[in-house]
Amino acid sequence: MTTARDTIVDALDIESFVLCESEAEAKELVGKLMQSLGLARHVIVSLDFNGPGAHFRVRAYMNKPGDTYTWLKE
Amino acid sequence: MKILLAPLDPVHDAGLKLIKRKLEALGYQCVLLPPDITVEEIGEAAIAEKIDMIFVGRTVGYGVEQLFRRVRTVLTAQGIFGKVRVAIGGMAVTNELAQSLGFEAGYGPHTRIEEIHALIEKNPELARHVTHPIKNKPKFPFPHSNEVKDSTTRKLLNEIVDGILDWTSNKTSPGVVRAHITESQLQYVHGSVENYTALPFTKDYLAQCDENIVDFFQRNTCPSSVRQITQKEIDAYHRRIDIAKKNFHPRVLQHGRTKPLVFVQYGTGCPMMDGMHIKVAESWGADGVLHFDPAWGARTEGLMDGFLTNAEDGTPVTYANLSLIKRSLDKATLWTVRAHRGLNTPEIAVLSGFLGADMTKINIVYGSICGGTDPARLTVDGVDAIRIAQRYNMPFDIPTNEELAGVPPHKAFAGMLVMAALGKRLGATPILKPLLCHGPYIMVNELMEQNYVDYNFAKIRALQAIADFPIWPGEPIGFMTHTEEKEQSAATTALHAAMCSTLGVDAITTASTDEAFSRGSITADGRVGALRSIEEAFRFFGQTDITPTAKADEWRDEIISGINQVLKNATEAPSFVDALYQGVFGDKADGVYPGRAGKNSVQEIKVPIARRTENPRRHALARCK
Repeated sequence: MTTARDTIVDALDIESFVLCESEAEAKELVGKLMQSLGLARHVIVSLDFNGPGAHFRVRAYMNKPGDTYTWLKE
Repeated sequence: MKILLAPLDPVHDAGLKLIKRKLEALGYQCVLLPPDITVEEIGEAAIAEKIDMIFVGRTVGYGVEQLFRRVRTVLTAQGIFGKVRVAIGGMAVTNELAQSLGFEAGYGPHTRIEEIHALIEKNPELARHVTHPIKNKPKFPFPHSNEVKDSTTRKLLNEIVDGILDWTSNKTSPGVVRAHITESQLQYVHGSVENYTALPFTKDYLAQCDENIVDFFQRNTCPSSVRQITQKEIDAYHRRIDIAKKNFHPRVLQHGRTKPLVFVQYGTGCPMMDGMHIKVAESWGADGVLHFDPAWGARTEGLMDGFLTNAEDGTPVTYANLSLIKRSLDKATLWTVRAHRGLNTPEIAVLSGFLGADMTKINIVYGSICGGTDPARLTVDGVDAIRIAQRYNMPFDIPTNEELAGVPPHKAFAGMLVMAALGKRLGATPILKPLLCHGPYIMVNELMEQNYVDYNFAKIRALQAIADFPIWPGEPIGFMTHTEEKEQSAATTALHAAMCSTLGVDAITTASTDEAFSRGSITADGRVGALRSIEEAFRFFGQTDITPTAKADEWRDEIISGINQVLKNATEAPSFVDALYQGVFGDKADGVYPGRAGKNSVQEIKVPIARRTENPRRHALARCK
């Protein structure tokens, strides 16, 4: 059965702002966030730390070119 | 019909004022109530003015549902609701909300007057051109004289072109032979992928291919990153595409100008992922798309066959893959297939032309000094590919990505102008494709320290001063100004697009807001981001132009002078091919060097090239292990 997640063409991006004290901490927090969402296979697209924390965009690929795409499941 | 316009805000009634002006222009009699009225006063005014229809506006978003619920209650108590038509509008209003509350319709921001007109007249056709716009394929490139204006430049280009045609007149290559074999066989295909796959890949064809291509056909092996797409996947993909086509309502990005057209480059590796990205790009306003093949494809003699997907960048060029993409395109979408830089340049031009591509891409200079192909080989193949492009009526663009290696613009442009002059001589339609980039030469010489405007202006104005060829900056605009941050990437794309609008160029290419992101593939969402940013930039500037500083003129003149010096140097070399080997159009100091793929593969013609193979047909349906 097709789930909402199956209909994502390629990737799910999450963008937000985390409060932290360093870029390294921000990366760790983003990693933990994605783990908690069940999105273990992810990559940080951009992360900009300054002042109170970091603005980030993190990406979990659902379908990469060459995969058997979930959106072609019947 | 008499219409009452009632703003339910303390001060905000701009939307209703605008509607009043436009409805009166359409011949309706309108009564606009002042702001800061009560709901009861709306009903009283409707009765006093003998109103046929009421539009109630509420700009402020909070509490709209409760407010409009009360509007209905009061108007019902006044005996109006149900007798007089009532519609609502505002920042937080949706049609769904309106209908759930019993109103005839609801309008949010960005509502067009045509939609309100259609509601008043109960005739959806009145708004169809804005709700369901029809986009026709433009004739591209736009008309140009294709004349070289400067007599010195023209003389130098003619001399170089004469030399190229003389030099290639008695030469051929495996790529040229394969292209002619392929072209001769296409008459049996009748547009069918199955027919093409069943064609005999004869000894003649395979004799001109690298071993891995021979193995593909004879041993069913293919590169490790490539797999064959199953028929089940193809069928499911077609169903997805048909749904996308059914729900497609094209957008127009340009605002008050007809150009530049906006192209999106694709080449995710998979024709099905490409197809879906193309549908996204078309839906968000792209006028055209460009096919990018894998880098290894350019260094391999021969093409594979069948529906193939590649897990790395670049989608393999096969008849089946191109057919799949062609079937996915909207009728209005311009389609370009890159042929230009490798060992399969003429063959890709043949397939592209046969499958109805609108354009192709050919640049001998870039492919020779930066694309990895031997200059002699690509000169022979490039001339043949231009002839093919001419036969199939495909304009070809001439990219100058050697700038990304460090070649200064005047050298890259000199090579581009040679290609344009060559194309013109052969009866084809060339398109100049300068890069608008923050490339190494520009960085080292600090030409964009102050801004990104002046030097880009200088580049385009130099080309426009020299000749009247179509100009299509790419690929993509703003190369090396993007970062991985989506907002920045979208902004720099948008600003470059706006600059191109001022420059009057014919088209631009964008990729996505993932342009600088190299740790994964481009996403559909990134396509939308780039196109939305361009749409907003076009909307923002409209027909307003960007003005560079006086530095742009100074740099323009330097570039023109540099171009002519490079062309002069090229005429002093023993041949154009020698000029390429000697680095006249870019050398090691510029970060480029003559390619080696196909070295020593050029052959002198002793007998006419076989136009048709007579070998027995052999089933060669390719399957990858």
